[in-house]
Amino acid sequence: MKLSKWLAMLVPIALVASACSSTPSAGTASKLTIAAVQGVEDAGLKALAPMYKQQKGVDIQIVEAPYDDLYSKLVTAFKANDSTYDLVMMDDPWMPKFGTDGSLSDLGPLGITQDPDVAQVVWDVGTWPPPRGPVPPSEKSKPKQLLGVTIVGNVEMFMYRNDLTSTAPATYDDVLKNAKAQNKSGSVAGYIIRGKATNPVVADFLPILWSQGGDVFDENWNVVLDNAASKAAISFLVNDLKGVAQTDPGSTDASDRDKIMANGQGYQSSVWPGEINSAVLDPTVTKVAGKVTFIPIPAGKSGKGVGMMGNWLLGVPKASKNQQAAADFVKWMLQKDTQMTYAQNKGIPSRTSVLKDASLTAANPYFSVLADALQAPPNWRPRTDQWNAVETIIGTHLNKALTGGETADQAATGAATEIRTLMKGAGYPTQ
Amino acid sequence: MTHRSRGFTRVATSALLAVIAFVFAFPLFYLIATSLKTKADLFAPVPSLFPPAPTIEPYLSVLFTRGFAGLLVNSTIVGLSATVLAICVAFAICYPITRLPATPRLRAFVLNWALSLRFLPPVAVVIPYFAIVRTIGLYNQLPALILVYTIFNLPLAIWMLRGFLDEIPIEIEEAALVDGASRWYAFRTILLPLSRTGILAVVIIVFAFDWAEFMFAFVLTATPQAMTFPVGVQGLVTQFEIIWNDMAAGGVIAILLPLSLMIIARRHVMTGLTFGVIREK
Amino acid sequence: MSGTGVSVAPAHPFAIGARIRTAWMVRSRQERLVYQLLLPVFGTVFVLATIPFILAVIQAVTSDSGRFIGLANFARALGNPLLYEAIKQTAIYAAIALPIEILGGLGIALLVHRTVRSNAVRAAIYIAAMIPIVIPQIAVGVIFRLVYAPDYGILNVLLGQTGPNQPLWLSSPPLAMIATASVDIWQWTPFVYLVMFAGFQTVPSESVEAAQVDGATNWTQFRHIELPYLRPLLLLVLFFRIADVIRVFDHVYVLTGGGPGTTTQFLSLYIYRIGFKFSDLGQASALAVIVMVAMILFYTVVSRFLPADRG
Repeated sequence: MKLSKWLAMLVPIALVASACSSTPSAGTASKLTIAAVQGVEDAGLKALAPMYKQQKGVDIQIVEAPYDDLYSKLVTAFKANDSTYDLVMMDDPWMPKFGTDGSLSDLGPLGITQDPDVAQVVWDVGTWPPPRGPVPPSEKSKPKQLLGVTIVGNVEMFMYRNDLTSTAPATYDDVLKNAKAQNKSGSVAGYIIRGKATNPVVADFLPILWSQGGDVFDENWNVVLDNAASKAAISFLVNDLKGVAQTDPGSTDASDRDKIMANGQGYQSSVWPGEINSAVLDPTVTKVAGKVTFIPIPAGKSGKGVGMMGNWLLGVPKASKNQQAAADFVKWMLQKDTQMTYAQNKGIPSRTSVLKDASLTAANPYFSVLADALQAPPNWRPRTDQWNAVETIIGTHLNKALTGGETADQAATGAATEIRTLMKGAGYPTQ
Repeated sequence: MTHRSRGFTRVATSALLAVIAFVFAFPLFYLIATSLKTKADLFAPVPSLFPPAPTIEPYLSVLFTRGFAGLLVNSTIVGLSATVLAICVAFAICYPITRLPATPRLRAFVLNWALSLRFLPPVAVVIPYFAIVRTIGLYNQLPALILVYTIFNLPLAIWMLRGFLDEIPIEIEEAALVDGASRWYAFRTILLPLSRTGILAVVIIVFAFDWAEFMFAFVLTATPQAMTFPVGVQGLVTQFEIIWNDMAAGGVIAILLPLSLMIIARRHVMTGLTFGVIREK
Repeated sequence: MSGTGVSVAPAHPFAIGARIRTAWMVRSRQERLVYQLLLPVFGTVFVLATIPFILAVIQAVTSDSGRFIGLANFARALGNPLLYEAIKQTAIYAAIALPIEILGGLGIALLVHRTVRSNAVRAAIYIAAMIPIVIPQIAVGVIFRLVYAPDYGILNVLLGQTGPNQPLWLSSPPLAMIATASVDIWQWTPFVYLVMFAGFQTVPSESVEAAQVDGATNWTQFRHIELPYLRPLLLLVLFFRIADVIRVFDHVYVLTGGGPGTTTQFLSLYIYRIGFKFSDLGQASALAVIVMVAMILFYTVVSRFLPADRG
């Protein structure tokens, strides 16, 4: 019978093919495997890999995964003590989780020392337990270790159209005033809100919250998201800014915001350095070339503007079999000349002298602002292994409020209640 | 039924089919249109139905710049192997419970167990599978995926094959056995050809499931050596950017390979789908 | 004892004994063959598939450090009000998508089976139905985002609704539900068609012809001749689709991220968030076990009314 012959033919082919493909990967120190986030954040890293091979004879294999998937992948790998990755890229809010779990090696003994050309906050954010701010109760007795080194300097900033107004907004009052003046229904949005549920809307909101004098936790892990200042900040986002925002803030993610901005359909928004090059400054798509200025987060009712840090760190998993070789790569990456090459290849450096280098400014007009933002210093997201959960709670409520499902007040109270339950359950002295 | 009402029914049916075909085809059309657009087209304030200046750049980007061509090879190996394996295993399980006097309890147990495999949400078994696969040394290797896919497609393969085998009268086979043929011979020359439709349906659906599977492929692999095409494509949605045209090109490429396989095997598809094939002769 | 067995007088009492013994041996040989054939393959697969399940149960009843904590994770899982919200939204999603998919898939299969005579056309339709299933989920999500998104989505442009009052397919609660369910319908109605159309081919042509000679209408032919043959496959499709609704993930993630609020935070997204965002794999495993038990109970009840085996 024809079909059975067909099948009979396929079986051996399939088996042979699968057998051939299953040569186990060799784990020698001549090769380092890096788990990296997919996107602009690892562009510079990819450019450096062949250089390292050339200079040191070590192969660098970069395995990419998108943001959320990378996180679940690292959680899974660490839980199983898997030695596939010699180096891992991590967003700074993941650090507390990996630090608490003890998944990463201390880089100090492996020969990495602090360098004054890199802002102090960059070292602090890679240190666990955190050198300042509230420390999770389970972590208080642990010695401080350097678990990650920043390879993508990243502080949330602000952008506005300099062709529509000549002066930069100094405060969030200016932001709202300008937004009202510039908002033209259907053609230009006075303010672009990145409001998609969970992580996106929280990233957009935290600088506003902090600048307006609110916060998620106080110094003793008490939830303050429902105090007067925090409630006012939520109301500012979901009522005032939403009133002058684009058509549908509730479904807008970073790529949508950048598209609106690049098309000249928006006046201002917050922005991460990592997203600038993919649209607003991309000459093939932008319609606002030279018309966008990048500034630090404007001041709020607290009297100052507080940027949010989103540094990408490189760490060495304890399970890696190539600890020293991995640390040597990190050390090499941090050298000034490597950082220059890195910056010339779409990498976002963290060295102040590189960020301030005049030869890089033309292509990267925001570098200097970023250097200042890192020195400011920016806030980091609360250093707790519960942060992802807290973020999900806040992000769900903010999205609900933005889409009219609840009021600003209800969002504040609802989120605060859920966070209290969560934190108490996790053993925090939260009130 | 009068002539007129029959005519009306026919028109209504055709109209309905046309609407269904349109609704079905539109997203596919838009997928193809998007895959031929440039980044600048995608940034146009008002989206266009057709690509203003069609380009194959996204396809080249996906296959070569990003190197997903290698992942396609992995996907093909995994898809074909796991499909063949699932069918063999399903036959080995269905044959005794449909062609031999298995007790109803045994039969019910096997069938219910098979279906229940589908009931556990994958999130919970992801880490157990990861641990097992690492323990047996198959992490980041294609055989791990082949094994897992085989197991996960058994519910469908067993239930469909069993449905088809049940309809083939046992007497046909017994006649051959009485004539002195071996069971294997009777299986090969009588049962296998008669269950053609069932095998075909199972092959197509199981292969389609294997081909598009993401979660296990993602968790059980670490490097492009063993990653499958959907794992690569997943990376085109990054934190800050969706690479629309490359993603659409990835979607089209994911369609093309199974489609060509089907077109190559079209003779079998056609003979498999003839009327009442089972009882004829 | 059967009548025929007694009425025929045996020539030799010994012979009948031999015949009975032979019959018994034949049957026992066949029964032995059942186990000989079934055990090696089924046993292996059973063990392979059951180990991860057992590990998931262990994960659900132990803490991170491996200590046995009883049903604490189950209690926490069931005590979270968001679980019931997720169940409710998943049920609404299923109530929109599943009837359309199953009745639609069955209806199209019947229509094609009855009206399309050309083998080439049947093969072409069959192959086309495979297409939505082979596209990676994430790509499906992305393409539907390009359809449904405000401003740059093609749907509102085609509808001529581009102003500030355009329908917000991704962030007004009823529309977001419809948008996410529509993707499911688009992708999985063809799957139901694939299974059901193959099912129609199992219906013996003599039965159909006999019914047609008797003047059966289209409906009675379907109801009384074809449907009974399709029943096991219908049960399969029904439970496959229910089980898969509990897995929907990627297209929802790309389209709405679970929003607005928790409107499209379906069970799979919820369990994922508990497991990976709340870093609570114990609770996530408990949830998965609960879902599985609920599904088995539901299946047991339904299969009583809709038995997989005819007669």
